[in-house]
Amino acid sequence: MQLFWQSLVNGILVGGIFAVVALGFSLVWGIMNIINLAHGSFVMLGAYTAYVLFSTWHVDPFLSLPVAFVLLYGFGYCIQRFVINFVVRAPILTTFLLTFGLSLLIVNVVLLIFHGDTKGITTQYSGTNFSIGGVTVGWVKVWTLLVALAITALMQAFLTRTKTGRAIRATAMDVDAAQLSGVRVAHLYAVVFGLGAGLAGAAGVLISLSYSLQPSMGDPFVITGFVVCVLGGLGSVQGALLGGLVYGVIEALGSQYIGTGLQDAVALVVLLIVLIFRPRGLLGKATAS
Amino acid sequence: MAYLRVGGLIALAIAGALTLSTAVPPPASAADNTIVFGAALAATGANAREGALTKEGYDFWQDYVNSHGGIKVAGKAYKVNIEYADDESKPQTAALLVEKLVNEDHVNFILGPYGSANTATAAAVAERLKVPMVEGNGAAASIFNQGYKYTFAVLAPGYKYLQGILEMAQMLKPQPKTVAISTANDTFSVEVGQGAAQYAAAHGMTVVYNNKYPADTTDVSAVVSGIKAANPDIILNGGHLDEALLLQRTLKEQDVNAKIFGYSVGPDTPDYRKTLGKDANWVFGGTQWSPTAKYKGAPGFIGDSKVYAAEFNKKYGHIPEYHNAESTAACLAFQYAIEKADSLDPQKVRDALHALDVVTFYGILKFDDRGLNVYKPMAVNQIQNGNLMTVWPRGVQNAQPAFPTPAWSARS
Repeated sequence: MQLFWQSLVNGILVGGIFAVVALGFSLVWGIMNIINLAHGSFVMLGAYTAYVLFSTWHVDPFLSLPVAFVLLYGFGYCIQRFVINFVVRAPILTTFLLTFGLSLLIVNVVLLIFHGDTKGITTQYSGTNFSIGGVTVGWVKVWTLLVALAITALMQAFLTRTKTGRAIRATAMDVDAAQLSGVRVAHLYAVVFGLGAGLAGAAGVLISLSYSLQPSMGDPFVITGFVVCVLGGLGSVQGALLGGLVYGVIEALGSQYIGTGLQDAVALVVLLIVLIFRPRGLLGKATAS
Repeated sequence: MAYLRVGGLIALAIAGALTLSTAVPPPASAADNTIVFGAALAATGANAREGALTKEGYDFWQDYVNSHGGIKVAGKAYKVNIEYADDESKPQTAALLVEKLVNEDHVNFILGPYGSANTATAAAVAERLKVPMVEGNGAAASIFNQGYKYTFAVLAPGYKYLQGILEMAQMLKPQPKTVAISTANDTFSVEVGQGAAQYAAAHGMTVVYNNKYPADTTDVSAVVSGIKAANPDIILNGGHLDEALLLQRTLKEQDVNAKIFGYSVGPDTPDYRKTLGKDANWVFGGTQWSPTAKYKGAPGFIGDSKVYAAEFNKKYGHIPEYHNAESTAACLAFQYAIEKADSLDPQKVRDALHALDVVTFYGILKFDDRGLNVYKPMAVNQIQNGNLMTVWPRGVQNAQPAFPTPAWSARS
């Protein structure tokens, strides 16, 4: 029984990271209908930002989180405005190719600068933990989850309470109507893509606290983002959060009781089941098509 | 038309020349007192870095031999020369290049490429052309289950990687009894894990946990929770640097204690120590070679690891890694075999390789019927106070194993 609770807690903790990874992915996909294959490389850039700040000036990764967010936001904004914008209404394969190419480019530039060596961030508090009823929990993972929840809440507030947020949601519902109402779509799309990249960067910082860094570290997170989006429902903040937590828990329990080698398989089977019985995802809403 | 005809003639002439050159047996490059070795080695692609390390190991030997009188065959001193070709880290290319090196460049012998996959394809070609190949960078035993007679590996095969740690554990008091093994789900790592499990079972230890995880996993908390529930004395991992780091961090995070933590890959690399800091202390790692190893090598080459490391450092500006050392060792196998065969005949050198039994700075070089160096033990390294020490086997160690590993809560 203790193993069950430990696995459940493991799943929830890692689910928080999945949620933040998926949040940005979901935003871009839900609102612009772009499946951003470069999302993983943004996650990696976030992690490397934390690494550079930590190893050069000993900046605590939690403090470099806003820095990574702002840097990646700017980067994402420019990429959307000056690159992807030209093909934003093209068939989905075009944006697929473009973002895949971008991902290759970014990963290889980082490879050129930092080489392929594995790096990591070990802080004073890395590995410190506490136990409740036989379940051992690392403080870093707890803080990571709390920050992930805070980011999700902020994002939700931004989308519902601010003018830009409302414009974003309006654009997701009907681009033409939004444009007629005075929304500058090109700018708005860039903002959305920037937010997506910024969130990926923030996720990267959180990931850097627990995982090792190397240029291709982001790749698995594209799949994670994709699965969580489909699981939770596209384009909604709650969907990403719920999807992330559910995915994390399924993966943790599945790999504990069915086989660690089948970690990915178990999660993907659940995804298939959700797709069959609830194709819009757990909290799916109407989205841009 | 005229151009075409001329072109055709030239093509014919070239074709003729090619047929001739392949028909005639390789002209003994020995004529100009040089033994030529060919190596298809990654200079670009995914294995470029390891390829460069391999080349350093080869070049170091070449320069040493040439500046120390060369290799003596039938009373005559020969210089050595290594011809390189870039296999772009691709197995198919490695095979093509080996064929070209032998048929067109007429090299006498082949030195192995980097990596198990490229070594496997190169070995098939060496076999077909009946040219001996010695390699130091392909540890998958699967290469050697094909019945090849011309390929020899100086490194201990994958299944031995963690056996050294278990061997050492048997000598420690109180003797550890239970083992947990986790491996990445790829050919090499699985071989490492199986080897450890078999050894443990055969030597009175109980394997209480044995599991695989996906090779590119980002989360090993399920594995760690499983290990914790099994409460083993020894925790072993066969995997890659990334997961070795991830595992060690997660083990600490979930407060999993054991008497021995051992990894197949990880502790050797400076990255591991740099990333984990003092959490890397006490960790054991299986290794093919370390600069602190104390073998007494036969005459003919530097016989002492320390001297090798120092000379190497002088030349390349860094302490040799085991990639460097095992590559140099591959050359040494040829050197001793050629001298013993007293001939450059491929068949005679092959037979001499097969019968080789010599100790070098890198350890023993001796091959079984398959061409595997199963006689070489894996040394065991341990990180003690941030330094990588060799703690096993006994005659080779430069420090005693620090044991048992204290609980996480008792570490400073």
